[in-house]
Amino acid sequence: MSDTTESPATTGTGSGPGRMLVAVYAIFALAAGARAGVQIATKFSEAPVAYTLSAFAAVVYVLATVALARGGRTSRRLAVAACSVELAGVLVVGTLSLADPAAFPDATVWSGYGRGYGFVPLVLPVVGLLWLRRTARAGRG
Amino acid sequence: MTNALATAIIAVSLLAAAFSAVTSFRNRPMGRGDLAGLAVLEVLLVVQAVLGFVKLGGGEGPKDSATFVGYLLAVLLIPAAGAGWGLLERSRWGPGVIVVAGLAVAVMIVRMNQIWSGTGV
Repeated sequence: MSDTTESPATTGTGSGPGRMLVAVYAIFALAAGARAGVQIATKFSEAPVAYTLSAFAAVVYVLATVALARGGRTSRRLAVAACSVELAGVLVVGTLSLADPAAFPDATVWSGYGRGYGFVPLVLPVVGLLWLRRTARAGRG
Repeated sequence: MTNALATAIIAVSLLAAAFSAVTSFRNRPMGRGDLAGLAVLEVLLVVQAVLGFVKLGGGEGPKDSATFVGYLLAVLLIPAAGAGWGLLERSRWGPGVIVVAGLAVAVMIVRMNQIWSGTGV
């Protein structure tokens, strides 16, 4: 129990180093969720597209957090889906927000490839997918 | 926002993160020192929440107070959640969670100061 030095073997996606990953995901779920909540509650009509997108991003982060924390086969699939959607989201929204700033009058977590959040939203899904791949391989071997 | 308190919170959160980083590098599970850092941090954050609401009630603060209140309350969750989630992991990655929590609190406090003074968007 104490000698989990480096190997993620036998552990799920939510333990070992994965525990830190889940912690970061939880913070982004909270950040995106709170942001979307405030935006939708106080000024939804100003930028409905951006705020709906914020809420969508929040849901994806919550799903990824829960799925990574739980582990198991179904959760793993859900986590892969959530991380993939997240990666696609940050790339598409990031590109659109730079190409057509008028369409995004207010920022979302994914605007400018997550620039407002230290580009963590861009790095996080990549790390998530790599971690899922690594734990899957360790589980099989 | 009182600047002295915000500075103290940022200092304590970074110290707690550094202390737990050392615990993690030494390959130890979470110990009393790690939890004590989070406890001090949580107390300071509660003081900040109370002061924040008093000041907002007194008419001070940003125009967009909803965002500020969101931060004021959300930041309270971080040390508690970090302690709980980290305690479940009896390895070096438990204190690793505290490192994440401490850094997150520091960033959030900086952001709250920006919102309070209206320099951030």
